[in-house]
Amino acid sequence: MESGEKKLSTQESIRVIQETIDLAKRNFRNDGFHFLLWGWLVAIASGLDWYLAVVRHYEKHSLAWLIMVLVGVPISLIREWRKRRYEKMYNIVRAWYGLIWLGYGISMALTILMSARWGISPIPFILVLTGFATYMSGILLKFTPLHFGAAVIWAGALWCLFLPTEQHLIVQGATAILGYLIPGYLLNSQSKNHVRGA
Amino acid sequence: MFGELDPLLLSQLRLAVMSYLVVTREAEFNVLKEKTGSTAGNLSVQIAKLQEAGYISVEKTFRNNYPLTICRITAAGVQAFESFFEDLKGYLEPDEKSPELD
Repeated sequence: MESGEKKLSTQESIRVIQETIDLAKRNFRNDGFHFLLWGWLVAIASGLDWYLAVVRHYEKHSLAWLIMVLVGVPISLIREWRKRRYEKMYNIVRAWYGLIWLGYGISMALTILMSARWGISPIPFILVLTGFATYMSGILLKFTPLHFGAAVIWAGALWCLFLPTEQHLIVQGATAILGYLIPGYLLNSQSKNHVRGA
Repeated sequence: MFGELDPLLLSQLRLAVMSYLVVTREAEFNVLKEKTGSTAGNLSVQIAKLQEAGYISVEKTFRNNYPLTICRITAAGVQAFESFFEDLKGYLEPDEKSPELD
């Protein structure tokens, strides 16, 4: 860009906008940390809940999900707090990403509340919401494995229709591995390769 | 009839600066220099023009005793960029209206 006074044609203007916006968006790197953290937590909590409910017939089997609040929430908050201290610059992609997952969190809390009130399994509905948030993340990050992850999670939601409630937990655990952990590890690997190549 | 294109944004460097700031909202002078591949002198001149038009604000401060210049896009700047982009789309032939700024 040798001169700021060069008059641009319409096509050139579009190209400059496209190229610069792509460049700016690349500043937002996602290392898949949250997909890995929550993927493992959901997989472990689902397995533990299923074990306590089906194998041990323990009445308070849902306590397995406390791991999400006691482990997941503090780690996520500390990680985001530390990250924001080092990455002070605003990025619109990061802002949208955060808003999508905030909306997901609110929707999931309401879904759990309503399902408990109506005495039905919240898992298929949570999977629908999770699939949507994962799909949107894939669009924002331009990362195709997250689209496949979303498709697996949505398929899991559909599969729950044909299964008894206690087996929904198995589906949820499996979708966490296939829909969260695999794309999460791929995202993490891509991020590391980018850092090495930078 | 199509809107008239903003002459201030019909410059490669100024348009690149505005496009970058639309995404990041703010950026250090050196970052803009690196991302646009411009010289410090030319960039300073173009930033001054954008600032004069009210499209960006410039903050001069210090970090570790070194001068630091931070450029921020203003609400008027965002509006001007959006209008420019809309006007630009109007000038394209129907089969050329494909670029997606996603």
